[in-house]
Amino acid sequence: MLTMAEAVREAMSIAFDERPEVFLLGEDVGIYGGAFGVSGDMYHRYGAERVLDTPIAELGIVGAAVGAALSGMRPIVEIQFSDFTAQAMDQIANQAAKIHFMLGGALHVPMVLRTPQGSGTGAAAQHSQNLEPWFASVPGLKVVVPSNPADAKGLLLAAIDDPNPVIFLEHKLLYKIPGRDPVPEGATRIPLGVSKVVREGKDLTIVATGIMVNKSWEVCEKLAAEGISITLIDPRTISPLDMNPVFESVEKTGRLMVVQEGPAQAGFINEVIAQLAGSSSFGSLIAPIKRLAGMNIPIPYAPQLEKAAVPQVDDIEAAAREIVKNWR
Amino acid sequence: MSFKYPVVMPKMSMTMETGELINFHVAVGDQVKSGDVLFEVMTDKIDMEVEAPADGVIEALVANPGDVVEIGKPVLIMLTETEVMAFDFGTDNEPVAAVEVVAAPAPVAAPIVPTAPIILNESVKAVPKARVEAANRGIDLRTVRATGPDRTITMEDVNGAQLDPAIAKRQAANKALIAKGIEMTRSIAQASFTRSVNANFDHATFIAAWAKVLRNRPDLAAHQHVGVALIIESKYGSALPVFRDPDQLNIADLAALVASTTDAAKNGKVPVAMLSGATTTVFDLTTYSMSSATPLLFPNQVTSVTIGYESATTKIVSLTIDLNFCDFYDGALLLDALVASL
Repeated sequence: MLTMAEAVREAMSIAFDERPEVFLLGEDVGIYGGAFGVSGDMYHRYGAERVLDTPIAELGIVGAAVGAALSGMRPIVEIQFSDFTAQAMDQIANQAAKIHFMLGGALHVPMVLRTPQGSGTGAAAQHSQNLEPWFASVPGLKVVVPSNPADAKGLLLAAIDDPNPVIFLEHKLLYKIPGRDPVPEGATRIPLGVSKVVREGKDLTIVATGIMVNKSWEVCEKLAAEGISITLIDPRTISPLDMNPVFESVEKTGRLMVVQEGPAQAGFINEVIAQLAGSSSFGSLIAPIKRLAGMNIPIPYAPQLEKAAVPQVDDIEAAAREIVKNWR
Repeated sequence: MSFKYPVVMPKMSMTMETGELINFHVAVGDQVKSGDVLFEVMTDKIDMEVEAPADGVIEALVANPGDVVEIGKPVLIMLTETEVMAFDFGTDNEPVAAVEVVAAPAPVAAPIVPTAPIILNESVKAVPKARVEAANRGIDLRTVRATGPDRTITMEDVNGAQLDPAIAKRQAANKALIAKGIEMTRSIAQASFTRSVNANFDHATFIAAWAKVLRNRPDLAAHQHVGVALIIESKYGSALPVFRDPDQLNIADLAALVASTTDAAKNGKVPVAMLSGATTTVFDLTTYSMSSATPLLFPNQVTSVTIGYESATTKIVSLTIDLNFCDFYDGALLLDALVASL
């Protein structure tokens, strides 16, 4: 069973083998093997020309990747912590996302920006953010948030194929964890923009992103033993967002709970609620929509507070139990 | 004493079923005078300003600009001190003291319970699906006990709510017809029955008799009471004062009430308390020496009766029923019982 880090490395390796124009650049991705060990031995297997160690200069790294992509290459950028994309935001949001559109489709920017995100590592506020809504709110960027190794591999291969920029947000805590399902052999792609129904139930629909899919899964298992059956939906691609499975599920269960790690205010998951509220499926609701999200605070350094700042399994369990019990 | 008076979407043409509220000319708390423009309405045929029917204060705006409102449904609520209100002024420009305060009809022995203040903008908390379910099943959410958090009506509450028997029957009838492949339309949903009657009766006697017949068929009404609306024509238009539970009044008192109300209506005035609560309608055509007319069933009424002229000694009683609620056999029984009691 591959971990997520291994699955990402395998996808990159397949892409390297398939296309000579694919290369990886970032801080410490080469000799060191990546800050979280994702690129691993790729430097030794593919050489310094395809696995490029860069200076600590995020704006320059992404700018170089945008230029390379415009010149016919397919760069994969790794930014050590997603928090550091702030340094590169002009290249990401103003250049990469818009060039294809501002030039009337004449040029493409086939670039993938991979970056680890999230809290739980004791790395404090500047290294622990979940910035999904930053990217999801920029038209021209596709945004992928894998929750398991199998999806990470198939989605990353599809992201590398994509002719325009894709932001690929990997959760640090998932890197070392094998998935529930084995990672398929071969180079099978998982199309971007297709939500996954992880499991089906009749009492509640949970939509969760990234690591929250895993936490929600635990809750589904636990409550199933009590006779509460839950549909769990993982959008996988948060932009573009595929809402159809959510509509269909809510029409069956009548109850919706959304879970994300990032702060509640202006969070990505609010988009799910907004689209549901504006759809005809709204009339199927038999309970108010429940939102579980991070607190509107910078992630604290103290481990107990860090944990308390984002939804945990117990929180999800209590909320799921309450919504099903109170709204019949 | 002040009254809540709903100003409703007016019916401005024969085919009009809804109107779009364009805008309000007043805000909550505004003092208005009779004739002041309250709001503007757009239909497929005409745009029109709707005026205040009396002096008063705007208590609540029920609809929102842009809303498509069914005719008869409230657009705003006025609070008025005017105890007696004129009904339809038509286009008659003759000065009429239409909204002046006049004495209420002489009190009668049996108490006429005034209609409770009409509170139409009362909000009810309910989960979305409960609203859908209630609308489909004809349940008034205001009558449903809320057991959910923050006194919100849940699906369980709606599922446990008592279904209006008349609506249950309507649904069953609809289902039966749909099962037979017959499409329900208004045009085939009603039927009329006619009988000649050799009897002399006044309006009070007739209203009381008809109310008594209907009282034995509570399944045909969506209400706990029997409210007989008597159509009274005058130069101001049609007035429909409603006599609530007339069969439970002393007949002499009822006769006095009918007489005073008829007089008032002919002068363009009907007490506010008598403007609502109709469950059936009576139309006396003998005034015009007509034998029959095509009676229309009012929304939410299952029956209407006309009294027609045949000869000096013979009248024709016609009953129209809504086939969604009752079948031909029901209709025959009702008319039979009415004629027998005259």
